[in-house]
Amino acid sequence: MNSYNLNEVLKAREAAGQKSASGDGSVKLDDISRVKVLSPGRQVFKRFIRNRLAVFGSVMLILMFMFSFLGPLFYPYGQKQIFYKYEPRNIDYGMVKENTAYTGYDIEGGAAVERTVNNKMNSIIKGMLSSGEQALFVMGEGQGYRVEKLANDVYLTSSSAFEEVCSYGSGESVIGTYSMVGKKIENAKKQVEGLEAAIQDAIKQDAKGGTFELDGVMYTYSRGKAKSYEITASIDGLQYMGEALDEGFEAALDGAIASDASGFEYGGTSYAAVKNGDSWLVYRLSELVPARVYTRLTVSTYEVGKKVSTQLNVAALLATAQGGDFEAEGQKWHIERKDAEWIVTDASGSEFMELTPYAVRRYNGDDTMEYGLKKALTEKALEMASSGDKTGSITYALPMQTETGEYMVNEDGSLNYQDTELKLSQRDTGEFVVNCQQIIYVINMFDAPSGEHLLGTDGDGFDVLARIMYGGRVSLMVGFVVVFLETFLGVIMGGLSGYYGGWVDMLIMRLVDIFYCLPSMPIMIILGAMMDALRMDTYIRLLIMMAALGIMGWAGVARLVRGQILTLREQEFMVATEATGIRVKDRIFHHLVPNIMPQLIVQATMGMGGVILTESTLSFLGLGVKHPLATWGTIINSVSSASAMQHYAFIWIPVGLLICITVIAFNFVGDGLRDAYDPKAKR
Amino acid sequence: MLKYTVKRLVYSVLILFFVMFIIYVLMYNMPSGYVETKARELASRPGATKSYAEWLADLNAQYGMDKGVVGGYFVWLGNAVRGNWGDSWVWTIPVTQEFHNTVWYSFALGFVSFIFEILIAIPLGITAARKQYSFTDYFTTVVAMVCISMPTFFVATVLKYVFSVKLGWFDLSGMQGRDYMTLTQFGKFLDVAKHFVMPLITLTIISIGGLMRYTRTNMLEVLNADYIRTARAKGVPERKVINKHAFRNTFIPLVTMLGGTLPGLFSGALITETLFSIRGIGYASYTSMTQADIPFIMFYLAFISILTLLGNLISDLLYAAVDPRVRLS
Repeated sequence: MNSYNLNEVLKAREAAGQKSASGDGSVKLDDISRVKVLSPGRQVFKRFIRNRLAVFGSVMLILMFMFSFLGPLFYPYGQKQIFYKYEPRNIDYGMVKENTAYTGYDIEGGAAVERTVNNKMNSIIKGMLSSGEQALFVMGEGQGYRVEKLANDVYLTSSSAFEEVCSYGSGESVIGTYSMVGKKIENAKKQVEGLEAAIQDAIKQDAKGGTFELDGVMYTYSRGKAKSYEITASIDGLQYMGEALDEGFEAALDGAIASDASGFEYGGTSYAAVKNGDSWLVYRLSELVPARVYTRLTVSTYEVGKKVSTQLNVAALLATAQGGDFEAEGQKWHIERKDAEWIVTDASGSEFMELTPYAVRRYNGDDTMEYGLKKALTEKALEMASSGDKTGSITYALPMQTETGEYMVNEDGSLNYQDTELKLSQRDTGEFVVNCQQIIYVINMFDAPSGEHLLGTDGDGFDVLARIMYGGRVSLMVGFVVVFLETFLGVIMGGLSGYYGGWVDMLIMRLVDIFYCLPSMPIMIILGAMMDALRMDTYIRLLIMMAALGIMGWAGVARLVRGQILTLREQEFMVATEATGIRVKDRIFHHLVPNIMPQLIVQATMGMGGVILTESTLSFLGLGVKHPLATWGTIINSVSSASAMQHYAFIWIPVGLLICITVIAFNFVGDGLRDAYDPKAKR
Repeated sequence: MLKYTVKRLVYSVLILFFVMFIIYVLMYNMPSGYVETKARELASRPGATKSYAEWLADLNAQYGMDKGVVGGYFVWLGNAVRGNWGDSWVWTIPVTQEFHNTVWYSFALGFVSFIFEILIAIPLGITAARKQYSFTDYFTTVVAMVCISMPTFFVATVLKYVFSVKLGWFDLSGMQGRDYMTLTQFGKFLDVAKHFVMPLITLTIISIGGLMRYTRTNMLEVLNADYIRTARAKGVPERKVINKHAFRNTFIPLVTMLGGTLPGLFSGALITETLFSIRGIGYASYTSMTQADIPFIMFYLAFISILTLLGNLISDLLYAAVDPRVRLS
């Protein structure tokens, strides 16, 4: 039978009636204009829009969908777009430090310094500083060194080969080993005439060990291993290794030892005296060659950014010994002392650089500060050091910055200057840190709502409104996909179960019982933790999460479908389908399922809210969708700490309200649909 | 009745068997090498009494990891039936011990919020039903809907924001104040009670809506029944109609539903406890889940599955008990 539209028929009858009875203005009780028959769909619609809450819910949902799916098309920002800004900040601008460590510079064409000696040079120089010595001798493995003070803070190290000259003082020195087998002295350090005979006599008297005297020197011998004796001589006074030197040398040696010096000069030759217990060993350093110059002065040029070669630096340092003119790099220079600094001027007499014990650098170590600023900072630091103040400040003209953090340049290319307050504070380690306001480029974090970012930015510099839009997409999409999946599974399982009954019903219903009993939230949390452990991609996580939620939710739909089908199956139209021999598949999906559509739609609408709640809870716990993909849950999660919650309420309150409104809207619409489909059940 | 109960119990055991099997399969497929990592970690923990190899063998044997999914499941089941649930990996004490340490906090929380829920939701639901389509009715409906629709974490966050951050009345989370140890026994009780206030409010808010709607729906159904009309027609005072005739009949579905939720009081509030760091079973199990503490998770999931099945059974039995018209078969 073709479809039969009552409204059409009535309209046709009305038209016919009007034609015959036109002019008669009275309205009769059964007039067509008084009776209007609505199709079932329109009846439902009419009942639905009469429900204010349901209409409110539908409007909210439409707005929410437009906001989430159309909003991003018109909104200029993306969900993963990071925003930056220029902001004046109090930054660590520079550092003022008095150098205490001595750095060595190689003299061109000079000798090398052994590493062990080089390494302890700082402590050697500090020792010299505390004892006030002008020169000090150090013995290395193969070379002897003389460290000589050229000027304050500048030390020159020269090296030379050495030979042993004499020993002095009281103590013991090893002579050698006397072997009973060879009857001679082995490993002799010193040749003594008649020693072998003397020790043979002594051993005859006492084989275990003892002492004997020879030429006024006391020798001690003791039994060693394998029939040999160790012989040591007691040193007393001066003993030369080789030929004896004159009395002038001895007087100089006495003087050096009396003043506890490490060496002395005599007759144009340097001698190093190395103390060993109560005795001294004296070495002759034949020919001293300058090797390295050590200093705690650093170079600071008058013009910013000028490079100073090591060659010039070393030449200037060497020139500090006497001051005045020196030559380097084929040019004439002049060096002069001023307080703690040395000022180097070039041939034309203009100041070129300064050697200073105070290092003033930008905080990152660059030497890009102006000379005047360096000087001002040094002075302030010195003043603070003498007065004991821990903090202080100076005002100095720094290059002016534009809003974008670049330096402002005049037309002629010179920099603009602006007075800036520079705050100095001394650290416990002694150096001074300089702070000042500078405009720098930073990620625009937690920016309060403004015209540019209507809901501000979050902790990653993302625009919150954009995140909410894209988050809404994911949240709504999850809701739809999951509900579709669970409805799909539920209809198939419930349909089979309800239609066939018997063992199929039994089996499927037990399966439903099992899935009903499965604790879904714990399982989702476990899945989330598992995916965390596998470091899964966030999009795959999203898919897995949707699948899991769908699989766990179908049992309810299946129960509903089965219940409906059990009642529908007994009705006449189903008997008719059976009688007319319609295929089973068509019977279920063409005749049964359309009849349970209303309940399914209601169930699905209500379920959507539930799924959105679950998803946002999981994301809030960090076990659902992950950063940087946005969902409503993750946005709230990013500001859930106590301090963020307090200060950035503009981020989480709108998102929370959005979740609430969406879920409420789904529930209202679901309620309204149920009432509209089945007015008898309306309570 | 007895026959029905026994039948249901047998069914429940069967369902439980398969539910736990599904969960076991999930656990079994935890990222590979997990047991090795866990064994290494346990062995290197301060005060560990077993070496890595011992832990590994122990863990594998305990959970039947070496016997395949089905074999392993029966090993676990055999142990579980004998009451041997193993040692928790996160809490390093026997699972049952940790359960005993935490479950009573959860029960206290659940029970008090259950009382509040009943005291608030049922009167409101009845009032709404009595004055259908009035302002009270709409107001109650909307409030119920809002309560149902609010995510737990949002309620908790708003409460924290208002009462902890802005007003400073309660601590943000945790269940003891910083001076807890110096308090007297009664003071300690009050301190914990104070920390339970916000979780209680949260739990009550999110559970109140459902019960309110349920009460309203059932009350409306009863109020439309013929015997109410008869009672009114014969001149019974309205108060008596509501309190005696209507409410007693509304009571049937209510008792059935509430009875069914009773076992759930022990299952803990997973999200709420986690958000407020209440050391109840929900929080303990959440921690265990995120750290893949298999013994504790298996125990907890078995526990709540049993509670769910028990709830269904109780609700069905109560239905027959309170309504003499219903005969179970």
